[in-house]
Amino acid sequence: MEESKGTQPVGARRSFFAWLIMAAAGLIGAGLAVPLGGYVVSPALKRRERMWVDAGAVADLPVGEPAQRDVVMTLADGYLEIAAVKGIWALRRETNDVTVYSPICTHLGCGFRWSSAERKFKCPCHGSMFDTEGKVVGGPAPRPLDRLPVKIENGHLMVQYKEFKSGTKDQIEI
Amino acid sequence: MASRLYKWLDSRLKLEPVKETLLDEPIPGGASWIYVFGSATLFLFFQQAITGMFLAVYYAPTPDHAYDSVRYIETQALFGAFVRGLHHWGASAMVVAIGLHMLQVFLYGAYKPPREAMWIVGVLLLLLTMGFAFTGYLLPWDQNAYWATQVGINMVGSVPFVGTFLVKVMRGGDMLGALTLSRFFAVHVLFLPATIAVLVALHMFILRRVGPAGPWAGAFERRAKRPASAPSPPPPPAEGPLAARPFVERRAQRTEPFYPRQVFMDAVVMLGVFLVVATLALTVSFPLTDKANPADHSFIPVPEWYFLFYYQFLKYMEGPILGPIATWVIPGAFIALLLTLPFLDPSADRAPSSRRMVLGIGALFLVGVFALVGLSLHDLRAMKRTDPAVASGKAVFERFQCTSCHRVHGEGGAVGPDLSFVGDQRTRDWLIQHFRDPQSTSPGSIMPKFPLDEQQLHDLTAYMLSLKKGV
Repeated sequence: MEESKGTQPVGARRSFFAWLIMAAAGLIGAGLAVPLGGYVVSPALKRRERMWVDAGAVADLPVGEPAQRDVVMTLADGYLEIAAVKGIWALRRETNDVTVYSPICTHLGCGFRWSSAERKFKCPCHGSMFDTEGKVVGGPAPRPLDRLPVKIENGHLMVQYKEFKSGTKDQIEI
Repeated sequence: MASRLYKWLDSRLKLEPVKETLLDEPIPGGASWIYVFGSATLFLFFQQAITGMFLAVYYAPTPDHAYDSVRYIETQALFGAFVRGLHHWGASAMVVAIGLHMLQVFLYGAYKPPREAMWIVGVLLLLLTMGFAFTGYLLPWDQNAYWATQVGINMVGSVPFVGTFLVKVMRGGDMLGALTLSRFFAVHVLFLPATIAVLVALHMFILRRVGPAGPWAGAFERRAKRPASAPSPPPPPAEGPLAARPFVERRAQRTEPFYPRQVFMDAVVMLGVFLVVATLALTVSFPLTDKANPADHSFIPVPEWYFLFYYQFLKYMEGPILGPIATWVIPGAFIALLLTLPFLDPSADRAPSSRRMVLGIGALFLVGVFALVGLSLHDLRAMKRTDPAVASGKAVFERFQCTSCHRVHGEGGAVGPDLSFVGDQRTRDWLIQHFRDPQSTSPGSIMPKFPLDEQQLHDLTAYMLSLKKGV
């Protein structure tokens, strides 16, 4: 045997062992890396559950005048369930249809306000302005206000609260 | 690409001598499968460290959130149950690997001079591993974790004079609660890993300084040449052509570098260990019991299998005298015996034929341990225990407020059927189908379709099936 002569194993036998050792290490590495990678990344890939939340009676909304309503949602925050309050803007039309806007400016994510005098939504941060249809009528906002899905059940306004990426021309849900 | 990078690094960092030192260490007697247990233990230590780091990504060490965060890992996080399984079964595998490693060292007399320090550091590593097992057991904060830890801490209370104080220090006060959990967490993930990393490095350092012991054959020869109490020098050079000497002597005289055959054997065993642990993690679940409830004194905790022999031993040692003897005198004496073994058995002679008494005592100890484990398993099988899935299913039942419509043993609403003995009336398949789609099994039922995941579905079914007459 070559070892018994006190010499180092050389050549094909040594590289054969090297390959086997690397294969074993590679299998263990892959066996750990794939699940551990997925484990860490998984919350980033999970889509938020969209629930319909009650935004109050439609009859209480003024016609033709946007009104802010608070909606309370139960959000799953990992292993916690937290109650979150979000303000939405609801516009009831004469046809009794209701349009609901996300309260976040499409420019950089500030909360905008309704100016009754000017009949415009105005963002205090960078001066973006939107009309009652949500169209941009001034300022740097790249797209109209974001509309939220709505339905009316038993006279109550039901809203699916969503958030969208700010600063993009296209509406991208986050 | 890799070899070019290595060449570049070698030209800057002079890596070749380091590589030679690491890989060309001579192994007396040549590579052998009997030497793999230390490497397997080291591998499992790294696997525990890595999976532990990843568990910490979601784990929250507070009584309010610990249980829910482990539940999140178990049921929500992608591969979470697998990662937790690797950590759980990895801990068991580490105990097995350490046991085999110590047995090999004991059989080969590798604790004898000049390797006393390596043995002592090894015993300290064993104690640290037990510390990991004890502190880690509390972290899921379920009933078993809480009450098993309560028992473990109370045992420390039997130490005379300082016992009560030690218990308070371990708990962080008078009760097992938030401060206990946070200090157990800190010890488990910060203090113990830092200490064990230093001791593992020291263990390896000593190994490289004194070298592996090698097979017994060398010891036979040295015994013939020297008085038994003389320190062990390196193996003497072969006299005459090696091939002409008897096989055992030839084997003892032969040396072989650590790389490649021993590294290959270690790698094969590491892969085997990983595959076994991964298979256990994938196939054998160990669901949480109910969330820790300090008010529920009826819960009977059961320790991990590697503490079962001691758990059984304690049952035979009751009373004001035998109790403390079992809880601290014998463990203390055993640790002291392990630490001083190289000095109690100092002869450099490693041949089994001249160590009959020491090996006999070791064998008796092992027989005792396995007998106690056997008795304990026998008792546990006879004990009526609640299936953890039933407990989890009951929690699901409460979480989804099933009691607002269904009654179980007089508690709950009367809108839906009484479920007190539903286990006698329905089959597993029917229940699973019913929970998936109530209309499919009970047309016209007003029961809503609950968003149950697979685990919840099976736990709830297990709970329903447990509701039988006479249970």
